[in-house]
Amino acid sequence: MLVSLKNVAQYVSLDGLSAEEIANGLTFAGVEVEEVRRMASGTNLVIGKILECEKHPDSDHLHVLKVDLGGDYGVEQIVCGAPNARKGLKVIVARVGSVLPGGEIKKGVIRGVESNGMCCSLLELGVDAKYLSEYQQKGIEELPEDAIVGNENVLKYLNLDDEVLDVKVLANRPDLLSIYNVAREIGAIFNRKVEIPEAEEISNFKTKIEIGSKSEKCSQFSIKEVRGICIKPSPKWMQNYLNAMGVRSINNVVDIGNYVMLLTGQPLHMYDADKLPKKELYAYSEYEGDFVALDENTYAVKPGDIVICSDHKPMCLGGVMGALSCAVDDFSKNLFIESASFDSASIRRTSLRLGLVSESSQRFVKGTNHFQSEEVLNLAASLLKQYADAKEFSDNVVYQDEEEKVNKISSSVEKINGRLGTSFTKEQIYDVLTRLQFKVMMDANGEFVVKVPQFRLDVTCSADLSEEVIRLLGYENVPSLLPKLDTKVGGLTHGQARLREIRYFLLERGLDECLTYSLLNKKEIKAFNLLNDDEHYEILNPLTDDHVCFRTHVLNSLLKAAEYNVSRQEKNLALFETSNVQSLQRREEHLAIVLVGQEQAQGALKTIPYDFYHMKGLVEGIFTLLGIEASRYKFERLESHFDELHPGKSAKVLFQNQLVAIFGELHPQKISEYGLGKTNAVVLEMNLSPLLFTKVNIEKMSPISRFPSVSRDLAFIVDKKVEAKDLLKTIKIAGKGLVKDAFIFDVYQGANIDEGKKSIAISIVYRNDNATLTEKEIVDVQDKIKYELGKNYHVEFRM
Amino acid sequence: MKNNKLKDILQNALGTIEKALSLDALINIKNTYLSKKSELMGMMSKIGELPPEERKEFGQEVNEVKTTIAASLDEKMAELSEKEMAEKLKKEEIDISLPSRSLTVGGRNPFHIIKDEMIDVFLGMGFEVADGPEVESDEFNFELLNIPKDHPARDMQDTFYIDKNTLLRTHTSPVQAHVMAEKKGEAIRVICPGKTYRRDDDDATHSHQFAQIEGLVVDKDINIGHLKATLELFAQRMFGEKRKIRLRSSYFPFTEPSVEVDIDCANCGGKGCSMCKGTGYIEILGGGMVHPNVLKMNGYDPEVYSGFAFGIGIERVAILRYGIDDIRRFYQNDVRFLHQFRKKI
Repeated sequence: MLVSLKNVAQYVSLDGLSAEEIANGLTFAGVEVEEVRRMASGTNLVIGKILECEKHPDSDHLHVLKVDLGGDYGVEQIVCGAPNARKGLKVIVARVGSVLPGGEIKKGVIRGVESNGMCCSLLELGVDAKYLSEYQQKGIEELPEDAIVGNENVLKYLNLDDEVLDVKVLANRPDLLSIYNVAREIGAIFNRKVEIPEAEEISNFKTKIEIGSKSEKCSQFSIKEVRGICIKPSPKWMQNYLNAMGVRSINNVVDIGNYVMLLTGQPLHMYDADKLPKKELYAYSEYEGDFVALDENTYAVKPGDIVICSDHKPMCLGGVMGALSCAVDDFSKNLFIESASFDSASIRRTSLRLGLVSESSQRFVKGTNHFQSEEVLNLAASLLKQYADAKEFSDNVVYQDEEEKVNKISSSVEKINGRLGTSFTKEQIYDVLTRLQFKVMMDANGEFVVKVPQFRLDVTCSADLSEEVIRLLGYENVPSLLPKLDTKVGGLTHGQARLREIRYFLLERGLDECLTYSLLNKKEIKAFNLLNDDEHYEILNPLTDDHVCFRTHVLNSLLKAAEYNVSRQEKNLALFETSNVQSLQRREEHLAIVLVGQEQAQGALKTIPYDFYHMKGLVEGIFTLLGIEASRYKFERLESHFDELHPGKSAKVLFQNQLVAIFGELHPQKISEYGLGKTNAVVLEMNLSPLLFTKVNIEKMSPISRFPSVSRDLAFIVDKKVEAKDLLKTIKIAGKGLVKDAFIFDVYQGANIDEGKKSIAISIVYRNDNATLTEKEIVDVQDKIKYELGKNYHVEFRM
Repeated sequence: MKNNKLKDILQNALGTIEKALSLDALINIKNTYLSKKSELMGMMSKIGELPPEERKEFGQEVNEVKTTIAASLDEKMAELSEKEMAEKLKKEEIDISLPSRSLTVGGRNPFHIIKDEMIDVFLGMGFEVADGPEVESDEFNFELLNIPKDHPARDMQDTFYIDKNTLLRTHTSPVQAHVMAEKKGEAIRVICPGKTYRRDDDDATHSHQFAQIEGLVVDKDINIGHLKATLELFAQRMFGEKRKIRLRSSYFPFTEPSVEVDIDCANCGGKGCSMCKGTGYIEILGGGMVHPNVLKMNGYDPEVYSGFAFGIGIERVAILRYGIDDIRRFYQNDVRFLHQFRKKI
C-alpha cells in the first residue's frame, strides 16, 4: 500500500517527523515500510521565464536561452536542448549547484557557449514516467502563465513535494489498507492526536431501489442513489494524491470511488442508475452463466461467485469487476453507489480463478470493516457533491444481515507481562492500549477488559493484546533470559548420530557432499530408480516441467550434478548425498554415491580408475562404521539387469535379507547419455533407514593370542566363474579353527592361462590360539584345504 | 719396534688404509695384511725358526702390528660406511613439494556445514532433533498452525499441491504439530531441520526448494524473554560473540506476538554498509510466542502452557556467513565451489 504522507498529515500532525522516522516507527511496530519514495526531488530550483531563445551557433538542436530567474538571481544564460524551449515560456530552472536525482548541475561551457543552469523536465526531477504524457517526457515542463518567476518552492508549487511510504501490509492488518487507519496507527506510535473528519449524511429524496442479499456470502449491502452528476476531470489535488498512491486518475466519479477506498479501506462500486434493467440489486452466489465485464471480456461465472443482479441479470461480479452493461461512462447522469461486505474466501477464489486481481478485490480478500458502509457512502456523496456537481442524494439503503459484535477481551497486567517476560506497569499498558483506540476498563489489581475498535479485525485474544503492548513499547524492553533446563537433556537420537557418522566417514574418504533438488522431471523419476517400484507424488501446479515429481531416489540427481561438473572439465569426481525420499508407500533416508573418472592418489602422478571395488569398499566401510558384522549383510549378483548398470559389474546388498542397496559400474551407454565423457563411473543408491535403526552388539574385547601365526600361500588355476567368496569360505571350513584369515592377493587372466580360467593366489594365515603350530600341523591342514579346493572347484595348483 | 720388516709392513698397511676409497678396497687390504696367507701371518708361522729368547718379543711385535692394522681398518671402515650412507641418502633425496597421497577430506556443501553447526548450537542448549514428512497434509502444514482454508496468509506462501489435501510443506512448522501430537502433555524443546518448498521461480535470491530449522519450546511460564535469549545465544554462536540481536514486531498466523529478528551486521558492526544495505542490521529469522489456538488445537492447554517457536533459513545463514552470491550455488554442486569448504569445525 502506497501511503501519501501529505494526505496522512491531514488527519494527524506529522510536524517534526521526517519520512524516515515515521517509516522506522511503523516498521518496528510491525508495519513494515519497504521504501520511502519522493514524488520528485531537487535543490536550488526556481521558476524562471525565457526572455530570449536563440539557436546555438554550433548545433542544430541546442538553444541558447536568456532566462529571468527573478529578483534574487537576475538573468542567466542557459544552453538547452529541449525542442519546446521558446521565448516567453515559464520553466523550472535548476540553478548551478542544484542536486537532482541524476546528479549535480555545474557551471559549464557547451560547444563554446557558457551555460549557468538547466531548464528541467519533470522526468529530471525524478517523477515517474508513468504519470507524464509523451509530450512532457520529451521536453522541459511548461508552467502556466500565472506561475510566479523567482518562486523557489517549486516542488510545492507543482504539488510534487509529497513523500510516499511503501507499506507492506501483512495479512493480519487489512485495516491498514486505509489512509485513515494508517493515520490512527501513526498517531498511536508517536502518541499524537488523530482527527478523522466525519462526513455528514446528505439526503434529499427517498430512492425506490430494492436491494438485498440472497447469499450468506454477502452479509451487508448498502446503496445510495446520487443524481445529476457531471463527468469531468477530478480536482488536481485529488489527482495528485491518487498519483502518489499509485492509482491512475480517470475522471471525477471513478477517482472519487478510488479515493474513498484509499481513505476508508472500503471498495465502492458505481452503477449507472439508468442502465439497470430494473430498480433492484440483489446479491447471489448461485448464479451460473456468462458475464461481460467492464474490460469487455466475457467470464464464466460459477456457483460460489458472488454476483449482484438486477432483474436476474448480472450487473457486477461482487468485489471483482462490474458489468459493461451498467458501467458509468462519460454521459452518465445518475448513479447507484454500492458499499458491500463480501466473504473473503469467495472473493479470493473468484479473483484467483479468473485472474482478476484489483485494489478492490485485494481489500475484500484481506478483510474489510463490515460496519462502516454508511460513513463511506456519506463521504462519497459529499465528494460527488463538491466535485461532480451532484444535486440529488437519496437516503442510505442498508441491508445488514450481521449484528455488530462488540469485541471484548479480558486480560490482566500480569498476563500481559507473563507472556512478554516484562514488568510493564498498569499505567504503561493502559496508555498504550488507549493510544491504539482500545477502550480499557482496568481495576486496581490490573485486571482489565478492553473493547476492541471495530476496524481491528486481528485482535481477538489476550495474546493479541500482549503484542499490541510490546510492538508499541518496544522489544528492547524484553530482558533476555534463557529458559530453565530440566534434567532431561536433548541430543541426537541413535539414528541421527549414525547418519551424521556416515556422512563424515564419506567426507573423510575424500568424497564431496552435495545437495540437490527433490523435484525431478517425468523422465528423471524413471531413471536410476533401482531400489523399488514405489509410486511417486506428482505436483498438480508445477512451475516448470523440470520440477514435477517428488523423488523416490537420489542417484539420478547426483548424476546430474556429475554431468554439470564434467561439462566444466572436472572429470574426476567423488560425490555423495544423503536425503530423505518419500513415495506413496514410504519415507526413507537414502544415500547416493557417484564416482567418476579416477581416484587421484597423488595429484595426477598416481591415479586409480574408479571401479566396482571402490564402491564395495565404501559400502563395507559404512557397515563397519556402524558396528554391523559381516555376517549380517551380503553382496549378491543382480538377477534382473537394469539398463543403467553394467550387467557384469553390479551387485545388490542385502542386509538381513532385505535389499538395502544396488550399486555398480555405469552401463557404457549411460555414460554418454549423462554427458560423462569417455570416462568410467560407479554409482550407488542405498536405503540407509534399516541401518540407522538396527541394533548392534556392544563391542567387547577378545583375548589376543600369545602364539605366533604362520602365513602360507596357495596359487592355482580355476574356472573363471568360481567366485572368490566361495573359495575363501571353503578354505575357512577346511581349515577348522586354524585358519585365522585368508585373502586373495593376486588374480590373473590372460597369457599362459587357458580361456575361461583364471589364476588365483591366496595367502592363508594359520594360528593355534593355545599352542605354537608345528610344521606338521600346518602341512596337514594345508593339504586338507588343497583337497577340498580340488574336490569342489577342480583347481589346478601351480606350486 | 726392532723388526724392520714388521715396521715396513705396518707402514705400508697404514699408508694403504689411509688412501683407501671404498669399503671393498678395505676388505682387500684386510685380506692382504691380515689373512692367513698374508705376509704378516706368514712371518708369524715362522716364529719357530727364531731363537727362543726372541720369540716372545717378536710375537708381541707381530700382534701389535696386527692390532694396529685391524684398528686402523675398523676406523677407516666406519669412516667410509658413514660416508657411503650419507651419499646414498643424498641420492635418495625427493622433491617434497610434489603432491601428497591425497588423504584430505572431501568438500562440504556449505549448506551442510551450516546445518550441522546450527543443530549443534541447539543440541548444546538441550534441544532434541525431530523430523517430519516433506510431502505433508494441508491439515499439518496449515490448519493446525492456525491457517484455516482461505486464510489470506496462505497467499504469503505459494504452495506446490499434490492434491486438494496434500502438498509439499511450505515451512518446517508442521513438524511443530507432529511433535506436539507425539509429546502430548510433556514439555518440549525441539528443533526440526528440513527441506521446504515454495512455488517460486529460481533466481539468485529465490529457490523453489530451501531449508529451515524450526525451533519449538513449550513449557509452563515460557515468555518472549526466553525466545530472545535463545536466539541471542544462537546468533552469537553462529556469527561471533559480539553480535547483538534486535526484535521487530511482525506477523505469522501461528505465533502471537510475532517477531522478525535482525542481527547487527558483522561486516560493519552496525554502522551501515553494502552488506546490510546501510541499515546496520540483517534480517535472519522469524519467530514468536506460539499462538494459543495452535497450542489448543495440538492438545496443549494455553492457560497452562506457553511456548515460543522460530524458523531460520539455513541457506540464508550460509549466504551471510560465507558471502555466497547466489542461492542456486547450493544446488549446483560445482566441485570448484564445494572444494572451497572443507573445514569440519
